[in-house]
Amino acid sequence: MTSPSTSPASDGAAPLVVQDWERLAFRVHRRAYRDEALFAAERARIWERTWLYLGHETELPKPNDFKVRALGGRPLIFTRDSTGELHAFLNSCPHRGTVLCRETQGSSRHFNCFYHAWAFHNTGEVAAIPDPSAYADEEYKASMRLREVAKLEVFEGFVFVSFTDDVPPLVDHLGPAADYMRMISEQHVAGMEVLPGTQLYGVRGNWKLAVENAMDGYHFSPTHNTFVGYLRESGFAVDDDDQYAYNLGNGHSLLILTGHGGRISMLWEPRFGEAERERTAEHRREMELRLGSERAHLVADESHILFVFPNLLLFDLEGLSIRQLEPVAPGHTDVRAWQLAPRGEDPAVRDLRMRTMVSFVGPGGLATPDDIEAYEAVQRGIEATAGDGRAELDYSDMSRGMAADVSGERGRSTDEGAMRGFWRHWVTAVGEGGPVDLGTPPPPHPEPTPLPSKRPHGLDEILAGLETGIVSGSEEVAAR
Amino acid sequence: MTALHPDGTDTSLAGSTRTVTRAEVEDFLFAEAELLDRQRYDEWLTLFVEGGRFEIPTTDAGDTPASQGGYFVCDDWDLLRARVKRLRSRKAHAENPASLTHRMIANVRLLERDGDELAVTANFIVHRARDGHTNAFHGRYVHRLQVTEDGLRFRLRRAVLSLERLEAGARLSFIL
Repeated sequence: MTSPSTSPASDGAAPLVVQDWERLAFRVHRRAYRDEALFAAERARIWERTWLYLGHETELPKPNDFKVRALGGRPLIFTRDSTGELHAFLNSCPHRGTVLCRETQGSSRHFNCFYHAWAFHNTGEVAAIPDPSAYADEEYKASMRLREVAKLEVFEGFVFVSFTDDVPPLVDHLGPAADYMRMISEQHVAGMEVLPGTQLYGVRGNWKLAVENAMDGYHFSPTHNTFVGYLRESGFAVDDDDQYAYNLGNGHSLLILTGHGGRISMLWEPRFGEAERERTAEHRREMELRLGSERAHLVADESHILFVFPNLLLFDLEGLSIRQLEPVAPGHTDVRAWQLAPRGEDPAVRDLRMRTMVSFVGPGGLATPDDIEAYEAVQRGIEATAGDGRAELDYSDMSRGMAADVSGERGRSTDEGAMRGFWRHWVTAVGEGGPVDLGTPPPPHPEPTPLPSKRPHGLDEILAGLETGIVSGSEEVAAR
Repeated sequence: MTALHPDGTDTSLAGSTRTVTRAEVEDFLFAEAELLDRQRYDEWLTLFVEGGRFEIPTTDAGDTPASQGGYFVCDDWDLLRARVKRLRSRKAHAENPASLTHRMIANVRLLERDGDELAVTANFIVHRARDGHTNAFHGRYVHRLQVTEDGLRFRLRRAVLSLERLEAGARLSFIL
């Protein structure tokens, strides 16, 4: 029996995640979305310990370009220095801590602090300190260089940083997610670039609600009723059948969508128009030559929603949208979203891409506002059970399709298996070495049956080395 | 593609080179604001020419050329009609119940005139109340209007926000 006690208990004592293999029940305590102490624990044990998505290298096309942004609450300067190298500096003067760069983006060889006029090269070295003779020596002055993140690595143009040295190499962290990122850069021979214009918006909801929503095919039809209606009217097939969700390890997850056709320049749909039909055929021929037909099929024919733990969502749908989550408070998340498009794309295709993607994703689209409505309605609604003496009420249910977890079958995209994978990883990460009470461990996971021998498009191979790790590793030792 | 509006009227009115005063443009924009504040979206759609567009660039887009950069809204005629149809549905969850909006329009100016097309600009503040919060959206309109004997119509209705970002809860599920 793994249900929480029904006797009154303080929130802190109730297990965060309950998984009951007998009843096939999986529930998450709602304080995970609202508790300040847990939020602080997430900052300390996830955001300070894990690779985080910072930005895309094409956002800084030229030396001296910079953008400012925040990760885990830390203000950063993302810049390409005068020699072309990428950096992520803490946006804080080493002298007294003033925000150094108060522009949001631009191009500069130097960052100058207005407060006492200290100046730094964009390589990090001190350029000038007024009246330097007042300091001990040159060495002291040199020690005042800009503070940088502990690690910065780039994978296929995606730039990740870590605030600690104690992380595995980025590709190890990405695991099987890496190949889905590589597929994006393989879509076009000229490579992909982030377009100017960032969708910057906040939502009144916990960041994990945004993760759940992206991995939740179950909500699509009811929540996006009006958008689905529009798609159907425009001759666009929408189908939830035969689509699956995958846990990729390390908290990453993937939906493979085949019932949501239409991928600009790769998979033609009538609503894209006749001119695009011929361009698509031509591009597919080029892809076959460049990648081979099997890989070209893999890259071109399926839509993906990829979550890279903890803060990156890649929507590889009709077009490509990058979404970065920045938790600000338990009930408040900042979102940044960019369009990723082929370099040198035909203006007519670019126009089609913008209209198609913006119509769906983004806070002014025909679909995302309803997702935001959902996060915000959950965040408000879960107050109803906060601190209720009947402790079992203060849980959200994610049991849908849990039988597949036991049998080892892949879960449908309309089930909640990708969410369960996320929460198992989350509870392990947040509970590690800290005061978060995870309760007693769950009973052992039943022996998994072998995975179906044939998964679509090479996932078997990709996941081959992973299965053992998932089954025997700490992932399944989710909190009772 | 149909050339008709939902109510069956044909609005493909011919352009005109007649003189337009600022007062006429103000009346047009004020009347539009009232239609939007009262959620009379079908009537609002008739203020567009066939093939009209509606755009809201992202807050950091600057002078990025149209269609080459980020947008919050990038509606062609099909999408615009889909947006209106959506807003009339009870299943547009983000607008059910509908936001309360309250619009102020000022600093109306006529810009270039080219045949039957008139470019205009105006400042706006739209207050939007929902879920216990009120957000102010301010910015300027940069519209391209078609002048007809029968009045003015939007060819391009463009709302450019003067905000650094959309604040929490401030999604653009309504018409800005």
